[in-house]
Amino acid sequence: MINRRSVMGLFAGAASLVAAPFASRAAQRATPRANEMFQTRDDLPPPPKNPENVPGTLAPRGRNGRMERLPEIDLESRMDFLRSVRTFANEVMSPAAGKRADDILASKGISPDTVMPMQDAIALLQDDPVVGARTRAWTSVQQLTWKNIKAECEDNADTYLSEMEAVDNRGPGTLELNPDLEMPDYTRHEIHIQPGGYVGNDFAGHMYDYGTNGFYTGRNDQDALHMTAAFGLPIPADGKVRRILDIGTGIGQLALALKERFPDAEVWGIDVGGPMVRYGHLRAVERGMDVNFAQRLAEDTRFPDNHFDLVTSYIMFHEVSPQGTKDIVNEAFRITRPGGIFYPIDFNLKNPFPRTAYGQYRRWWDHRWNNEVWTIKYRTNGLPDLVRAAGFDLNEEGPVALPRFGVMNATKPA
Amino acid sequence: MSEKVEKGRSKAAPFIPADSDAAVFLGNPHIDNLMSVVIALGAEIWADRQRLKVVERLLETEGKATTAMVEAYVPTAAEKEAWETERMAMVERVYSVLSRDTSNARPFGEERQF
Repeated sequence: MINRRSVMGLFAGAASLVAAPFASRAAQRATPRANEMFQTRDDLPPPPKNPENVPGTLAPRGRNGRMERLPEIDLESRMDFLRSVRTFANEVMSPAAGKRADDILASKGISPDTVMPMQDAIALLQDDPVVGARTRAWTSVQQLTWKNIKAECEDNADTYLSEMEAVDNRGPGTLELNPDLEMPDYTRHEIHIQPGGYVGNDFAGHMYDYGTNGFYTGRNDQDALHMTAAFGLPIPADGKVRRILDIGTGIGQLALALKERFPDAEVWGIDVGGPMVRYGHLRAVERGMDVNFAQRLAEDTRFPDNHFDLVTSYIMFHEVSPQGTKDIVNEAFRITRPGGIFYPIDFNLKNPFPRTAYGQYRRWWDHRWNNEVWTIKYRTNGLPDLVRAAGFDLNEEGPVALPRFGVMNATKPA
Repeated sequence: MSEKVEKGRSKAAPFIPADSDAAVFLGNPHIDNLMSVVIALGAEIWADRQRLKVVERLLETEGKATTAMVEAYVPTAAEKEAWETERMAMVERVYSVLSRDTSNARPFGEERQF
């Protein structure tokens, strides 16, 4: 594993030690708020015991549960700071920008709850300094986060490559890389402006792990969202869960969480990004978890028909083109066994359009400048209809695998 | 592929670059650049402050603080909580002006007359 990892935190703290001058508003801010988007279970099992001295890995600075500390205190501190600025942008600057947007609309005699075309919302808000400052701050934090972790990996490329190379062929799980894989163009974008995207940088997995932890503002440094999802997913009516596939697995956070819930099942994680599954394999080896990773397309998994009891994905489909979405759903139907379940977790589609002008502006910014290339089309390309058309019986009412996210509980008819 | 990875060792593939460096949200790319600068500077200042806290802690408990000791120091849960609180307080002190109401802002010379 990466030799040294981050301790960003979910520790229960001693409030009495909070410095008195900051004890009021600042103390409230530092305590992770009940975030509207990211909600996790509080009954999750503790992290598995980590094996020590895995060959090929260097002595770590220490570990916070599932996550190793970053290699140097200065880098760790800068990343902590960027996470705090991101929290500030989310919790202070965003409401201020939203209020400013309402004021701008009011000054023009437009009701704040008017649903308007996206280009109209952009035209109204794009020149306002408060709105612009929030957008700029969030974007700068995103860019600086990637810049910091990318520099660490690339400046120590040999070290990090050697760590991965040392365990490429080591178990308990397997790793399959396919350098000649023909990738659809939609997979090659720098999603979230991550340098090189998921396919184009050898340290995509490292960057994704630490970069998205910043995005989650510390709420997922124990994979708590993935664990919540894994423990909330439904199982087939006959109770049999022998083989599980997580498509678009990235660095395998949901795949590993599923292995924790179903330790006797054969678990696979596939992703188009070779560096992503390579890092995922490294994480699994270091934890001694028997999960198999392969660089394959979700459209062409190369597994037999009717093979899996459970097929999952975690926030994958909003990064997929409309054609890719259709092809992946059909492939999922082919490999799910009769009575098996396909449950892709992604953003809730029940309200596909933002309810405010500022929401429209932000969606455009996220799409255009945070490089969420496919997310707007995801909202309107009819994923539930595609799931039904593939042959699944779709239940959109429950269970909720991950609070606030969409319900897509699809069963292949027996 | 990273330029710092030998081709024979790389598992990376060609990608389609984003163009987010071209984004201008504050009317002038130099002003946008300055936002990145002040956030990056904040991170550098916090890194120094963090290091100083560890040094102080080590001097209190160990009587000395070497570079290796500073790098290896694992904070207690209480310390982490206190540091996060202080970090957020610093962020608020430094950056809260960015969300102030600017609806009454006027260029010099166009201000309200008394």
